[in-house]
Amino acid sequence: MSGLVTAIRREFRLIRRRPALIGLTVLLPLALCVLLAFVFRSGVATNLPVAVVDLDRSSLSRQVVRMLDATPDIEVSARADSLPEARSLILSGRARGALLLPAGFERDALRGARPEAVIFYDNQHMSAGSVVARGARNAVTAASGGLSVSLREAQGAGSLQATAAAQPMLLQTHALFNPALDYVDFLLAALMPAVIQLMAAAATTYAVSLDFGPGRHARVLPRLAGGLLPAMLGKLLPYTFLFMLILGISDVGLYGWLGVPLRGSLLLMGVGAALFIIACQLIGALCFLLTRDFARAISFVGVILAPALGYMGIGFPREAMPPLAQAWSALIPGTWYIQLRIDQSLRATPMDLSVWPVLYLLAIAVALGLIVLLRLDRMRSALAPATARTARRTA
Amino acid sequence: MKAILRALRAELAAIFGDPQILSVMVVSLAIYALIYPYPYRPELLREVPVAVVDLDNSAGSRQLARDIDASEAVAVVARPPTMAEAERLVHERRAYGILLVPQGFERELLRGRQSPIAIYADASYFLMYQKTLTGIAGPARTTGVQVQVARQLATGTSRTEALSGASPIALVEVPLFNPAGGYATYILPAAFVLILQQTMMMGLGLVATRRAPSADPLPWRMLGRAGAWLGLYALLLPMYLVVLPWAYGLPWLGHLPALAMLGVPFVLAVGFLAQAVAAVLRRAEIVQMVLLSLGMPLFFLSGFSWPIESLPPLLRAAAQAIPSTAMIEGYVRSAQMGAGLAELAPLIRQLWLLAFAYAGITLLLRLGASGSRLSAARLEVRSREAGDAL
Repeated sequence: MSGLVTAIRREFRLIRRRPALIGLTVLLPLALCVLLAFVFRSGVATNLPVAVVDLDRSSLSRQVVRMLDATPDIEVSARADSLPEARSLILSGRARGALLLPAGFERDALRGARPEAVIFYDNQHMSAGSVVARGARNAVTAASGGLSVSLREAQGAGSLQATAAAQPMLLQTHALFNPALDYVDFLLAALMPAVIQLMAAAATTYAVSLDFGPGRHARVLPRLAGGLLPAMLGKLLPYTFLFMLILGISDVGLYGWLGVPLRGSLLLMGVGAALFIIACQLIGALCFLLTRDFARAISFVGVILAPALGYMGIGFPREAMPPLAQAWSALIPGTWYIQLRIDQSLRATPMDLSVWPVLYLLAIAVALGLIVLLRLDRMRSALAPATARTARRTA
Repeated sequence: MKAILRALRAELAAIFGDPQILSVMVVSLAIYALIYPYPYRPELLREVPVAVVDLDNSAGSRQLARDIDASEAVAVVARPPTMAEAERLVHERRAYGILLVPQGFERELLRGRQSPIAIYADASYFLMYQKTLTGIAGPARTTGVQVQVARQLATGTSRTEALSGASPIALVEVPLFNPAGGYATYILPAAFVLILQQTMMMGLGLVATRRAPSADPLPWRMLGRAGAWLGLYALLLPMYLVVLPWAYGLPWLGHLPALAMLGVPFVLAVGFLAQAVAAVLRRAEIVQMVLLSLGMPLFFLSGFSWPIESLPPLLRAAAQAIPSTAMIEGYVRSAQMGAGLAELAPLIRQLWLLAFAYAGITLLLRLGASGSRLSAARLEVRSREAGDAL
């Protein structure tokens, strides 16, 4: 036990002394979380540039354009005289979409010939494109509804009657759990743990390589700690603490400063966070123990955890992935930790369902822990004769 | 000229002679090409499970549920009797949307009063939310228009007149470039560019930290190295940005000359940025750690998935200094959207500017560093001599 304490003390001393170690394990993850927070701070995309091709130039077409400009999603950024001109604006990125109002638009609308307003939007940049489509849909539907009511009122119907006739079925849409469709709640809240996941694993690989890498004196720390297991624990635990701290700070930013709702159990979040960090660290440690070479180990960490965000099912849901991808994503700690966070922050999931992600995290951590122990056991037998020899020599 | 060729050969030898560097620049690149796109293989999200809470239980409401089930986007998986049970299904992630049809739905409709229905869609996953909305709202709107037209036909108005009365303006939505909204088509081209940049930076950064000293003048060496990068990436870049999208069946509208005009300054910019990064960070492990962790943030900073218009102005400007920002835009606009040189010109200019800027910064950093390194080496020699003397 005292060996473990000695090893932990030594590690903290190392961290204080080596600017590279503190930079990579503390400052870099914090800086990246701050950077991402500023990237997503506005939460919803507003005022996306849209070009207008108004070939009618009537009071109705001008009204539609005004309503388009008035939606928070869109800003009418340019007026084009033709579709090719609008297309070039979209291709060069100066507009995310274009609204075409054909000649004779007003005349046809009043005559009851149902003219077409056409919204072209850039769906290659899907997130921006869907915002533009939504904004244009709202603006044109509102303009159309307003016109329908006024036409009926002109025919002598009462305004309530006119509204009911224009819209017989009222569609109320509710966005559950994230009513403002805020990217902070949806993406940033998942992105920060994904970055920390990669960094916790990579930092552990780095820290372990400092003592057990080629050209290092791999026997010093085990001798100091009184065994390989306390040595390894002493190596890992300081970073568990540091990364819990980093996660905590980024969560203060997320749930405090950026106002992401927190509706569940803090205890569950805390337990899950600890298991998550430990599992990430074990991945980092294992990658090193398997390769015994930092460069190769860090590429392994990268291959496993850099594409992990895609496998965690935030953008493209897990349910839609091929079975093998679903299985792989189930092995990534972040998948369950993110689910736990979404459950406890946005969804206020009932307790009996909430414990499952924590149990999955526990299973992953235990399984990784066992593999690391097995690997350490092998290392011990490789190190043992040498240790015995040195012991004899000192005797 | 000889010095340039010497540097070119040395750079290639450093890349191909070091298994670590080769594994970063070529092996990792191949593995990422397999692992990264795999979850998106199905391209589209279909048949999102939804629950229908039908409190009206009339012919009209049942028909509406059938119409919704028939849409491609969603599938009705449960008809729980109460809202509470439906919410439970959502919490269990067995349903991602709820359609609530209140009591008296059909009666109100038939009486000519406004009859509300409600959609609850799970917005904790945006793609699920979008699909649920299109899957439920589409059929519901159609039903609404049908009801109104039927009502007016009953009063003796003609069909077109009835339709135009319901919505006097028709909205046509035309999604450009990725009409089906395929997720792989959306995310992969940008991701390929970023993977290319990160592995190249990591590999060339490692080369730079392990370089043996040379007597040749620095500008010649830099030219030679740049030649080596261009040679290597004349193979790797088209593999990643032309062959790979083709293998994954992504639409490709680009032209090879346009790709070359983007690719050459991109490779130079990334290569010189790698030299500058290596000159600042110095140690191989640190270069690898920093570059590995920057991948995800740089992707979102590039303004591809999160619109660049929504970035704070300062970050927006800073993002322009990273080669991937301009290259992702240029490549996607050329290959996926079919932009011509006129639209690409500002991005090509930006990449050349970055290449020259990072070359200049490298030159300054190396010149500064070589001065201090020389004096450090001299100091070491002197202390060794002192040690020998003892």
